[in-house]
Amino acid sequence: MLHAILHEIQTSPVPLTVSELSRRLNIQSSALQGMLQFWVQKGRLTMDDAPGGGVEIRVCEGRTCFRSCPGPTHCPLQSRSFNAYSLKWS
Amino acid sequence: MPEYTVALAGNPNTGKTTIFNDLTGASQHTGNWPGKTVERKAGIWKHGEDVFHIVDLPGAYSLSSFSAEEVIARDFIVEAKPDAVIVVVDATNLERNLYLALQILEMTPWVILALNMMDAAQSQRLQIDIETLSQQLGVPVIPMTARAGKGLDRLKEALSDMVVAAQRPAAPKQARHTPPMRYSPPIEAAIERIIKVLRQHQALRDRYPLRWLALKLLQEDETCLAKVKAVADSEKILDVAHREAERLRQLFHEDVDTLIADERYTWIHHLVDQVVQGRRQGPTLSDRVDVVVTHPVAGLLIFLGVMWVIFKLSTDVAAPLVDWIDRFVNGHFAHWVTELLALAHLHDTWVASLIIDGVLAGVGGVLVFVPVLMFLYMGMAIMEDSGYMARAAFVMDRYMRKLGLHGKSFVPLVLGFGCNVPAIYATRTLESRSDRILTGMLVPFMSCGARLPVYVLIATIFFPRYATVAVLAMYLLGVVMALLVGLLLRRTIFKHSEESALLIEVPAYRMPTVRNVWTEMWQRTRSFLEGAATIIMSVSIIIWLFMAIPVEGDGSFAHTPVDDSAFAHLAGAISPVFEPLGFGNWENTSALISGFIAKEVVVSTLAQVYHAPQAASAEVEDVGFFLQAKEALVDLVQAIVDTLKSIPAIIGINLLPSETDSEPPALMTAIRQGFEESSGGYGTLAALAFMVYVLLYSPCVATMAAQRQELGIRWMWLSIAIQLMLGWIAAFLVFQGGKMLFF
Repeated sequence: MLHAILHEIQTSPVPLTVSELSRRLNIQSSALQGMLQFWVQKGRLTMDDAPGGGVEIRVCEGRTCFRSCPGPTHCPLQSRSFNAYSLKWS
Repeated sequence: MPEYTVALAGNPNTGKTTIFNDLTGASQHTGNWPGKTVERKAGIWKHGEDVFHIVDLPGAYSLSSFSAEEVIARDFIVEAKPDAVIVVVDATNLERNLYLALQILEMTPWVILALNMMDAAQSQRLQIDIETLSQQLGVPVIPMTARAGKGLDRLKEALSDMVVAAQRPAAPKQARHTPPMRYSPPIEAAIERIIKVLRQHQALRDRYPLRWLALKLLQEDETCLAKVKAVADSEKILDVAHREAERLRQLFHEDVDTLIADERYTWIHHLVDQVVQGRRQGPTLSDRVDVVVTHPVAGLLIFLGVMWVIFKLSTDVAAPLVDWIDRFVNGHFAHWVTELLALAHLHDTWVASLIIDGVLAGVGGVLVFVPVLMFLYMGMAIMEDSGYMARAAFVMDRYMRKLGLHGKSFVPLVLGFGCNVPAIYATRTLESRSDRILTGMLVPFMSCGARLPVYVLIATIFFPRYATVAVLAMYLLGVVMALLVGLLLRRTIFKHSEESALLIEVPAYRMPTVRNVWTEMWQRTRSFLEGAATIIMSVSIIIWLFMAIPVEGDGSFAHTPVDDSAFAHLAGAISPVFEPLGFGNWENTSALISGFIAKEVVVSTLAQVYHAPQAASAEVEDVGFFLQAKEALVDLVQAIVDTLKSIPAIIGINLLPSETDSEPPALMTAIRQGFEESSGGYGTLAALAFMVYVLLYSPCVATMAAQRQELGIRWMWLSIAIQLMLGWIAAFLVFQGGKMLFF
């Protein structure tokens, strides 16, 4: 069952949505989330929930002009994103 | 007085706390788990003579050792050996919630399954066969709706019965407990072999459920391995466990942890299939909507339609408010500032020139476009809050992949519409360096919010009837350019790249809330205003300074014709570069030079170099401050009314009177004249070429610095070179090509 998830992601010619995968495997969406988390913890999937999250902008460090920039984590101009999982190649 | 310990376990958001509160009432006490920062809640429930100490375990999805919450919950059940464990599960998410329940059932037989949220399950038309579920799990299952107080009495009754049963001499002991699920024969055989050696150790036998411990050793759980190592003569146990794990690994070509998790998930899946009727088989309404919204062609058309509406809001609907700010800043406000300067005997001094021609013309010129950005940010906030933004990105991603771009590249590129700087940093999510560099070089082609005021200003002057189309065209041109450059670079410099499969978790559709939309819109607008107060003002002052210094003629500092200023000469030296593009006068060139620092400054510079303050403030009738303020307020109310009346214009219904006779503001007239002169009478084409150039040349120094940091200095310079070159070529084609085709 867990491997079916990886297989579906790997063989899909286009990106999949979680709900589409849930339908294909007939697994409840919430249960699928748990399985995806398992693969993330095992290092077989990577999850990007906040692109650039935790990275501090150090543009023009020390100069007044960009000191007000709060960095990607708090940047109000960054669009609220969504989770994306991708296969991690070993 | 008999006392019992009861653990309350469950996934987060299953109603565990409600049950805990119902059981313990006011007898709760909180603290931290020993050595952890995780909160520990406990309370007492008295039932006749019996006292039950209820311990609320931290919410967890499993009992692995990935998080502090999981370790706490696991250790408590194994070490403290509660007399009973109530596992709270969400009836609507049974398949996910049973994973934790199954793990607890591998540790103790004294479990009660509180099947909560039955009301939600019923509203979803889920029918759960409670009896079969109870039989299959081998424990009592109590259907509940905790928030309505339903099922609580039955839970209490079951709890009381269970602790009594557990005290009977014939009751199964935890160490010899057999859980409901059996693994595949090779795993069961391995478990048996480990249990056999574990049994020989009294210390382990008395302390742990042996089957559970065998499983953990097989999974090479580090915490459990350490616990066994601490016991004397444990080498044989560890040796057997290691050999069994290795044997299974070789047999299945997979690590044992994954094998066990896989079998658990499969077992639960079949159980849920057996006990739950009415499980969703077909697509939901949201899925059906997604079929259209994420369709390669229909989805793209919907996306274009949505963007068109947003730009219509940003241009036509925002126009009355833009006009009001323009009238206010250049009219009443400029008048008041002039009066104050006169009162302070500063009129006709360099201070007055700095404030009027520098700060007010520069910052005021940009502030005029705040409503434009507010509508853009409102549109973006609605797209995000409704869940549509993720679908739009999903649609665009298909096209990016077809052109050979990495599937995950779309995330930074979409972020680029807000601001290019965080978008460059977001390329860190890409694993391959070549993908990071390629995406980081394409981000600047995404038209950030700072470029919008330039498009709106130019489009309003030169294409008043088609401003929305012109603005939308700029955004699309940016995307097309990014795709073409990406394709070119992928086929030349970045040939070797591994395509990565992708799974996107799109949020459920929901109605955007006014609060969320307002918060997002205001935070972004505030960020722009902060920029106006810092960088735009700084650049405006620097430009004023260069404009105040005479390099020819008889003028003195701050009293010189602008054509004789240092700034005009400096920009004039570069302007021949832009002559073939139709906007090669010093005024337009100066705006492009300052735009290198930040695109917000393009408009402020245009406002400064084309500024005609006397004309604007002279229109204000001198009737006193309060009457003028009242006049401005009445004007604002009218602007708001006109804005509301403009909304039906999105669908072609015009409620506003035609403005064909109205006089365009002095600044707009000056800019139009400037473009007409610089292009030899082809002002409209030159303006279009100018917009294209603003779109394509380097966005700002902050983006360049981000590129230098993330991609390296070599790629930063290459990126800047590509942008400048491409911007020049595209603008040249627009101007010269337009002349050839249409004139």
